[in-house]
Amino acid sequence: MLLLFGSFSLVYSSVAYYSLSRPPSQEFIAWGVFSPSGTLSKYFSGASANVARGQTQNWHFAITNQMGSIQYVQVVYRLANRTSADPNATVPGSTVSQLGNRSIFIPNAQTGFVNFTWSINSTSPSPGGMVFITMTINGRQVSPSVGAIGGQGFRFFFELWTFDIASNSFQYGYKGQSSRVGVPLQVWFNSV
Amino acid sequence: MRFRQRAPLGILLVLVSCLSVGSANAIGQSTQIDDAQSKLVQAFVLVRQADLEGASPGQISLLANNLNLALGYEDNATLLFSKDINASNFYASKSVSLSNATSAQALSLTSAARTQTFLNQVAAYSIAVAAGFGSALFVLEFDRLDNLVRRMRLRRTRLN
Repeated sequence: MLLLFGSFSLVYSSVAYYSLSRPPSQEFIAWGVFSPSGTLSKYFSGASANVARGQTQNWHFAITNQMGSIQYVQVVYRLANRTSADPNATVPGSTVSQLGNRSIFIPNAQTGFVNFTWSINSTSPSPGGMVFITMTINGRQVSPSVGAIGGQGFRFFFELWTFDIASNSFQYGYKGQSSRVGVPLQVWFNSV
Repeated sequence: MRFRQRAPLGILLVLVSCLSVGSANAIGQSTQIDDAQSKLVQAFVLVRQADLEGASPGQISLLANNLNLALGYEDNATLLFSKDINASNFYASKSVSLSNATSAQALSLTSAARTQTFLNQVAAYSIAVAAGFGSALFVLEFDRLDNLVRRMRLRRTRLN
């Protein structure tokens, strides 16, 4: 009797343990920069990526959290040109300075939205043909240190950073299974 | 002589203190904003703990809304810091009080989630043990049950 009782209890307890345990899942954060029409394209009103002074661009980021718990996410944006070093899966684009950032708390299995509204205020060509611009991003005026030859080939670098409780600071990318995973985005434009 | 030796040291100390005050202003952030930021992070840590302990997604979503609101207040405080210090302090204190309220809610949720998880475990393993006992009894007493069923069938046949 005791042996049977023990054996059955063991089997049913295993079933209980399995049903109480969290199912294993691949943790990730997915995100994109969306145009006003809600697509991952057609960022500019014309066919080309030309942006005139005073023309306001209303974009937004959609960030989906599948990390298994609430995340404190920060979107960092930088202005670069054709020759700037790209951010990649492990390293942010730190060779160009940060223009600003926006943060948001996103619960697990939900999508958070962050607005990115920007315009070019002024352009100032230098004797070497390099064009520097001043911009307004989310209501704040910025003067990027990066210029582009003839105003052609500016790039926005968008980086996703997540708050790391252990270091009490934002870290590049999100925590993957073995290391941090960076998922940078970039959008090209020309200043005309 | 002693005064002459100590004077440069005194001047150096005064200079260092002036520079440190200058750099604090250059960073452009008040202690109220620093406090708002640390309280926000503290609230996030507690909400995340409640989430990991098994609080419901709906409750975590509500706390996340509060955190985002507190973050918005903190952004306003930072934006207004160079323009209107009183308005900046107002938003910073709003952010602090909302973060504190969220922390308290998160703590209570964590406690409730822990209790719920414990009760769920007790219920699940109790059912498992009871089912184990029932199954063992069924196997041992199967012959008696079989006899009982046979008798009942026989009685029905006789009645018919």
